[in-house]
Amino acid sequence: MTITVTPQTFSYVSFDADLIGRVAQSLVGALGLEDHPVSIEVDETTPLARSSVALSDDMGVVDNISIRVESGAFEDTRRPRQQSENATATTLGRVLLRARDRLLGGFGEAPPDDELSLAQMAAWETYCVGRLVRLGIEVNQQRWRYNFRNRHGFSDAADAAFDRIWAGDGLTWGELDEISRAASAT
Amino acid sequence: MRKFFPVEELARDGRFNQITMKDRMADPRTVLGKDGVRPSSNRLVPSRPDASTAARVLMHGIFVGEIQALEGAGRTCHDFRTAGDQARRAQDAAAGDDSGADAVPFALKLDMARQAWDEARHVEISVKLSDWMGGEIGEIAENTVLQAACSTDPVLRLAGVNRALEGLAIDVFTTMKEFGDLAGDPFLEFCEDWMLADEVTHVKMGSDWLRKVTENDPERRKKALEFQGIVDKLFSYGGTRSDSEESPIGLARRFRELAGFTDSEVEDIAEVSLAALNERKDAVARLQAEAASQFAGR
Amino acid sequence: MADPYKPRAPFAPWDRRELPGSFDVEDSARRVGNYKWAEMKLFEALGGWVATVPELDVKMRLGTHCYKHAWHADLWHKRLPELREMNPDRLTQPANDAMVRFVEAMTEPEAPDQTIEKLVGVYRVFIPRFIAAYTFHKNNTSQITDAPTIRSINFILQDEFDDWRDGEMILQSLIETPDDVERAARHQARLEAIMVEAGGIAGPGSIGMTSTGASANGPQNGSAA
Ligand SMILES: [Fe+2]
Ligand SMILES: [Fe+2]
Repeated sequence: MTITVTPQTFSYVSFDADLIGRVAQSLVGALGLEDHPVSIEVDETTPLARSSVALSDDMGVVDNISIRVESGAFEDTRRPRQQSENATATTLGRVLLRARDRLLGGFGEAPPDDELSLAQMAAWETYCVGRLVRLGIEVNQQRWRYNFRNRHGFSDAADAAFDRIWAGDGLTWGELDEISRAASAT
Repeated sequence: MRKFFPVEELARDGRFNQITMKDRMADPRTVLGKDGVRPSSNRLVPSRPDASTAARVLMHGIFVGEIQALEGAGRTCHDFRTAGDQARRAQDAAAGDDSGADAVPFALKLDMARQAWDEARHVEISVKLSDWMGGEIGEIAENTVLQAACSTDPVLRLAGVNRALEGLAIDVFTTMKEFGDLAGDPFLEFCEDWMLADEVTHVKMGSDWLRKVTENDPERRKKALEFQGIVDKLFSYGGTRSDSEESPIGLARRFRELAGFTDSEVEDIAEVSLAALNERKDAVARLQAEAASQFAGR
Repeated sequence: MADPYKPRAPFAPWDRRELPGSFDVEDSARRVGNYKWAEMKLFEALGGWVATVPELDVKMRLGTHCYKHAWHADLWHKRLPELREMNPDRLTQPANDAMVRFVEAMTEPEAPDQTIEKLVGVYRVFIPRFIAAYTFHKNNTSQITDAPTIRSINFILQDEFDDWRDGEMILQSLIETPDDVERAARHQARLEAIMVEAGGIAGPGSIGMTSTGASANGPQNGSAA
């Protein structure tokens, strides 16, 4: 497996490219993505915490996984500009799982990331983070529940949908989208 | 117990990490967008893709702000001598301070004690709201903003804490209340509305006492208002709060009016906030250029 | 239907309030001035300590209790002019020098690792003394002539009991080892000794007995014809 991290040294923040690589490597192994080259590009000029992932065919290799994150996504919020291993794992895990969903099938009809509605994105994130917890990554569930509620309403139906997605494995895009849609409708 | 207490020593348990405004400003990263491209709106609204995270982070800021407000109000009860308290006067004289310059009316102290209770309840509310939003105590570094506001002159302290810091609270709560309302969060809007009522009262206490205590001392009043201006600018956090949509937090004009700010005072704050936003942008550009040249030189 | 013009006793059979009381107006005013001073010192100390205690729950409790004692001080401040003291500052006094020393000693702890000492001073020494002095006043003053004081004391005592319980429970949760027990007891003994010298919130006679065992106040059962 090849994992590349840019930049290799950081000047705006005190991040460790090797640590990012190691965390990515263990996730790639756990998720069975060893056949896909992974590139991780960190934008250290912004403290924002957005992340995105794209699949591309490059130089004859199909399905490269290209990840872009803003520095806030790897940051230890208690100690500004320092790296948090847990935040690094959670962020990379979320995007790698989305890539994996698209690669392994069942998510063929999912719109491109930038066309997902806020509710669809929240549902998919919930699905990813729920699985990350089962991989042993420590996550505050309430945080993701709150995110889900913000996108699906503060209702029992939304909470039940969240619980179902959180505990889910092997969902297809169609199933995930339907749960999200039904929760929003109530 | 000392009369004036250094802000660096505000006691916290092991979950907290305190940083100063200077540390915060030394961060060369910016949310204002790079390459001259500015996001048209940073206002905290539910339609922002990162809304729940941004709201949770702001809630933590409110939480630590409430702790500091509680500490500030408590210290004002203690630090200043109550006018007419002869025993304290004798104690102060024995300790070499017989100026009496810091004596404040008994009723002012009662207001500060009342505020301490309110702020304690605000801490309680913020902890519960944080929990509700998936936050954790101490998860975000704490800005020690109190330092700027806590003058050893009671009139300046009133201007700094009750008018500038509490005024900022009015702006923050108004933004949060609107957020909760739009998002349909059943607790957020409810709680922010209650806290807002308290904060308007606190700012009004500051406005009223400032006027009363400096009734016959226009020079002192001027000094206090100047001090408030400086603190207001600092509390604009380099543009975090201003009328501009680039700022996550807006200026709550109506509630400020209720709290005893005159129209021209609100305009002044709008002006310094905007200036702070622009200065921050310049500073960030400078820091980024420095970082880039350091990087190139490696 | 009952006749509304039928003469009735001014005091119903269940109303057993009596006229006699231990305190004249002046006594009462002096005591109230002592209460106000002591409540002031207590709310100032609690407010000051908020910033010095790292325990979040304690911080919030101190802030809450700070207000309650300020309110008590205000009740006494407003009572003084009703007791013919038009300049409330004149009687806003410590009972004696020992009381000043007590407050000094109680407020001495400042370091973040001295929460036990801070709380012991307030909740195991000072507040129990308030409860004692108020209870004595309430039970010994004229139930009719001094009713406004009794009414305030009733409100205040409710707070004092609530706060004492809060503080005591926090202390029990903080005192974990024999060393902590020793620390708390040592500090309490030191403060208690000064308080004994002061004689209580209102000085000797705070609870009626002076150190010689005599009652500090005059006859309590004088007939009030
Ligand atoms: Fe507050
Ligand atoms: Fe406030």
